[in-house]
Amino acid sequence: MKSNLIAGSLVAAALCTTPALAADDLAAAKELTVRQCSQCHTFEKGEKHGQGPNLFGLIGRPAAAVDGFVFSDGIKEALQGKTWTVELLDQWLTDTLAVAPKAQMVYFQDEARVRAKLIRYLESLK
Amino acid sequence: MSGKQIKQQADKTRRGFLKAATAGTAAATFGAVTLGPKEAQAASFDAEYDVVVCGGGGAGLPVALFSRWLGDKVVVYEKAATLGGTSFKAAYWYWVPNNAAMQKAGIPDSKEHFLRYVARLSQPQSFDPKAPKLGLSDWEYSMCEAIYDSSSVGTELLAEKGALPYRHVAPVPDYFAEMETIGASGRVLFPKDGAASMSDGGQVATRTLSTACRRDGVTVRTSHRVQKVILNDKREVIGVEVQNDEGTLRVKARKAVIFATGGFTHDPELRKNFLSIPAYGGCAAMTNEGDFIRISSTLGVQLRNMNYAWMCPISFEKAIAKDPSMIGCFSVAGDSMIFVDKNGKRVVNEKLHYNELAQKFFEWDGANAQFPYLILTSIWDQRAQDHSASHEYGRLIVPPGSDDRHVIKGATLEELAANIDARLQKYASHNGGMRISADYVQNLKATIKRYNEFAASGKDLDFHRGERGVDLLFNGNVKEEPGRKNPTMWPLSDKGPYYAAFVTGGTLDTKGGPKTNPEGQVLDIADQPIPGLYGVGNCVASASGRAYWAGGGTLGPIIGFAYRAANAAHKEPVRG
Repeated sequence: MKSNLIAGSLVAAALCTTPALAADDLAAAKELTVRQCSQCHTFEKGEKHGQGPNLFGLIGRPAAAVDGFVFSDGIKEALQGKTWTVELLDQWLTDTLAVAPKAQMVYFQDEARVRAKLIRYLESLK
Repeated sequence: MSGKQIKQQADKTRRGFLKAATAGTAAATFGAVTLGPKEAQAASFDAEYDVVVCGGGGAGLPVALFSRWLGDKVVVYEKAATLGGTSFKAAYWYWVPNNAAMQKAGIPDSKEHFLRYVARLSQPQSFDPKAPKLGLSDWEYSMCEAIYDSSSVGTELLAEKGALPYRHVAPVPDYFAEMETIGASGRVLFPKDGAASMSDGGQVATRTLSTACRRDGVTVRTSHRVQKVILNDKREVIGVEVQNDEGTLRVKARKAVIFATGGFTHDPELRKNFLSIPAYGGCAAMTNEGDFIRISSTLGVQLRNMNYAWMCPISFEKAIAKDPSMIGCFSVAGDSMIFVDKNGKRVVNEKLHYNELAQKFFEWDGANAQFPYLILTSIWDQRAQDHSASHEYGRLIVPPGSDDRHVIKGATLEELAANIDARLQKYASHNGGMRISADYVQNLKATIKRYNEFAASGKDLDFHRGERGVDLLFNGNVKEEPGRKNPTMWPLSDKGPYYAAFVTGGTLDTKGGPKTNPEGQVLDIADQPIPGLYGVGNCVASASGRAYWAGGGTLGPIIGFAYRAANAAHKEPVRG
């Protein structure tokens, strides 16, 4: 656990570069992401949307546009025309309402280390 | 030690985790720890607040705000990664007797009138309009009085501060508004920016309440699960132990710990041992696992109203799959749609409102020692599919392209029946080996023929579908049919394709737990408050018995109790 935490801090520091992480770090990132996000989201390719959209292939895809998912006006207003990048995702996870003041998703994560783990896993979904 | 010194010490030890266990992987242990006078010193705590609120949902966010606005230093610990709890998924109507909008509009709603209504519905067997407390116990009566006295006060404060602006939906009737001399309309409020269909209030309210929390300096910590209360040697509650992703924190509560952690919908053991019904689950937030029942079990509390729940029909298959996004069927969709049992026969008014419809699934057949209606099948035709499909209110008829794994299809009634039977067998270990009867198709055809006659005349002679105002309120989208008398019914087509889905009864959450007084103070077995311990919302005992008084009958009263609890907690002495 301790080594994960240390590795996690490094990810946070190196967020803008491509972090090279061992498989067990990805497993830890997955565990954390599934625990925090699976109430609303699914992660595997082709899985059905939940209360939120399926997140497979998130990085690099247009924001607020996924087949079969109805986005709220609040999300569309703020995100349409943008593309999900690591940087945008980091801003989003820091405070969804700072990015989209009328978003349905109310999530904020002050800890860069935790955000880095979530991003690490979501980035791997491709 | 001065307050400043305590704060400095607390900050210094904020990262002093007790152990490096990971939430979710380590088995959760619940209960209480008692600290001796030395340990109870601030130095052994990782953080310190006046008021610690456990749970960031429909009860926790209001109580945190009320406490903060009184000047207290407040933290909210929410077990899930996001805020809102069950209320996030809810339509978030809130039922507020004699609310300011009613007063402004000149709609009368006396306390006497209100108390008669709730007494009649909560305890129908002891209700006596001539008795001083209407047949309620002293405790029930005082709790119901508190709802009348404080829900509007709390509601107005939340609105004034911009934390929960509302709009008045005056025409919405109470669920038993037609009962002579006691029913009412006008008590339902809804978050101001919610959709016209009034289904998305939970998302709006979670956003506005949590924005206000952060604006006004409430510390909010998500992914933090409170597991224990901390007592001093005088048996006063002085804090909590909280688990997060990295370990366990000890947090000091100078004045009070307020639990607002929801019910036990998702704890099968508590469900099985306390609920009066064998429900498969429900649409509460997945984190509603009865934490406060387990934590308080070491404190000598009185559990009350454990047998009843706020109920709604749910998709049987989504409940078995533990689908976290499941929403209860608050509005049963479709006019050319019926519910049938395993014999292919109708057994209930499908449009009966949710809490009452949900009771039907748990009717006991003594002669055959079974719950004959535990799983019913909703059947509809292409017309209902085309005109009544919706993403809202947990409807089982969903638009093309959405998650329809719960839907069974058949080109003919024969094929549909065979597919229903096959699907039932998939769940043999959950439904006691339920199968459709040998004469199912024959019965189903007769059922549809009879239903179609009722639909044509507008009169359901068997179950009176569509006769009550509330049946119409929740009818959902149906095809415009000029001139028809009963918009809840239309004949099912004699041509396929047909669709079906399994329905059972579930809980939107339970409503039993430790008994509190009307100030939200948790009471011990001698009916005395446990110093420093409060509870609000579905984690504590509701005085409503089995009743679901109206849309928002959960959240409106909760706002009243949140307001009272915050005020009582504010007056608590600072404890060492």
